[in-house]
Amino acid sequence: MSLVAEAFVSQIAAAEPWPENATLYQQLKGEQILLSDNAASLAVQAFLQMCNLPIKVVCRANAEYMSPSGKVPFIHVGNQVVSELGPIVQFVKAKGHSLSDGLDEVQKAEMKAYMELVNNMLLTAELYLQWCDEATVGEITHARYGSPYPWPLNHILAYQKQWEVRRKMKAIGWGKKTLDQVLEDVDQCCQALSQRLGTQPYFFNKQPTELDALVFGHLYTILTTQLTSDELSEKVKNYSNLLAFCRRIEQHYFEDRGKVLKKHSRWYF
Amino acid sequence: MGKTYARFTGAPLKVHKITNPWRSPSGTLPALRTSHGEVISVPHKIITHLRKEKYNADYDLSARQGADTLAFMSLLEEKLLPVLIHTFWVDTKNYVEVTRKWYAEAMPFPLNFFLPGRMQRQYMERLQLLCGEHRPENEEELEKELYQEARECLTLLSQRLGSQKFFFGDAPASLDAFVFSYLALLLQAKLPSGKLQAHLRGLHNLCAYCTHILSLYFPWDGAGVPPPRQTPAGPETEEEPYRRRNQILSVLAGLAAMVGYALLSGIVSIQRATPARAPGTRALGMAEEDEEE
Repeated sequence: MSLVAEAFVSQIAAAEPWPENATLYQQLKGEQILLSDNAASLAVQAFLQMCNLPIKVVCRANAEYMSPSGKVPFIHVGNQVVSELGPIVQFVKAKGHSLSDGLDEVQKAEMKAYMELVNNMLLTAELYLQWCDEATVGEITHARYGSPYPWPLNHILAYQKQWEVRRKMKAIGWGKKTLDQVLEDVDQCCQALSQRLGTQPYFFNKQPTELDALVFGHLYTILTTQLTSDELSEKVKNYSNLLAFCRRIEQHYFEDRGKVLKKHSRWYF
Repeated sequence: MGKTYARFTGAPLKVHKITNPWRSPSGTLPALRTSHGEVISVPHKIITHLRKEKYNADYDLSARQGADTLAFMSLLEEKLLPVLIHTFWVDTKNYVEVTRKWYAEAMPFPLNFFLPGRMQRQYMERLQLLCGEHRPENEEELEKELYQEARECLTLLSQRLGSQKFFFGDAPASLDAFVFSYLALLLQAKLPSGKLQAHLRGLHNLCAYCTHILSLYFPWDGAGVPPPRQTPAGPETEEEPYRRRNQILSVLAGLAAMVGYALLSGIVSIQRATPARAPGTRALGMAEEDEEE
């Protein structure tokens, strides 16, 4: 959003407390949602859980089109609609809840940098796998993406999205990468995250921040989604502290609160 | 950036100044031809290769610092690079007065007529794709947002650097090469509309950082980064027996000279087949004129 609009939204946001009926919209869990969108949605859910803010998850086939920026997930709070983790964190901050207030400037800089790392490498790798790897595209992505729509719309939409994503991949230089190189990058990213996490419970020691939510969202989704091959999840499984991290957050922020992270029948962990 | 890194580690690097991208072995700049005859052209891969050959400026870094390096590189690529592209290629004043002149003067005839224009179109398209998903309605708004994020990024860098000499203590590492190549370009180029430059100048520790590195590693460049064509063949005379650390410093120097290319042209892949397009479009333009008559 533009700066003026952002300031305006912040003001309105600050005026009202968090309502009970806040909702989060994403695509259909069982048949439609893809790896990358699921990761993003889970990250937001984890973040809101960490802030102790109630949220209801609603699945809609056209969630992508409803979103103001075209990306899922988006939340509907009061009479405002905010999409994507970054703006949602800002929005929640304007309402007076923040996970990163206790960090000093250097730590905040590091947090932002690591969030960019995850977006730059993990998210892009997920998109690559979904849309540029022929095996996955043929077997999983096309079928899932167009599933709520009748023929021929399902094919048209899937091809359109694929074309869009491939263009973007080319623009950032990932178009020529092979799957092995992408997996290499994922491994590097996981290694960096693992090294940063070390033996701490969360990235900034005792308290989780939005970085923890984002990393959890992506890693948990990678670990629990069944793809054509296990290579992606194997890369993450190499790092035991990351596995323990995911388990810890799942237990503490979801299971202990009675929220079962609904496991799709094709997922496994 | 590859050259800076090479300087950092003292790798014996012979720099061939090529202004014609087609003469480069891989069709892109920068390109590194190794002793095995392999050609590598992506800056990151160049760094990886140099590392494998045991020229490693990151040797003394802890695992955690290595992870930080990766994170900050991503941050820069994500936030700063689009704005740099915008500043040099999309912002009309800058493009006309600085960038196009640089390239036009550096390239042989007749490339200098259409190659800069073509690069500009490619960059604009790339920028569109990178940021276009957000809110393509308003160009100005998009620009403002981009610049705001870049300013934030620079401030973050400044906070992370603090009062240290380099990002990880007293010796430069690959992150320093990376950051320096971005900042030096921004600081030194004489841009007519330099909003980001102004912000950068306000961050004193970053400016001091740049000047420090420049003076240590690029002593002959004097006051600033000269336009690419004036770069002396200095790196080739680098056979003096410096200690590894000092060699590391000189790597940075060579890089600053190459920064213009490394940053701006290294990410563009100019394939041999496509140049035919540009003369083609010109011919088309003329054909249209003929039709009108």
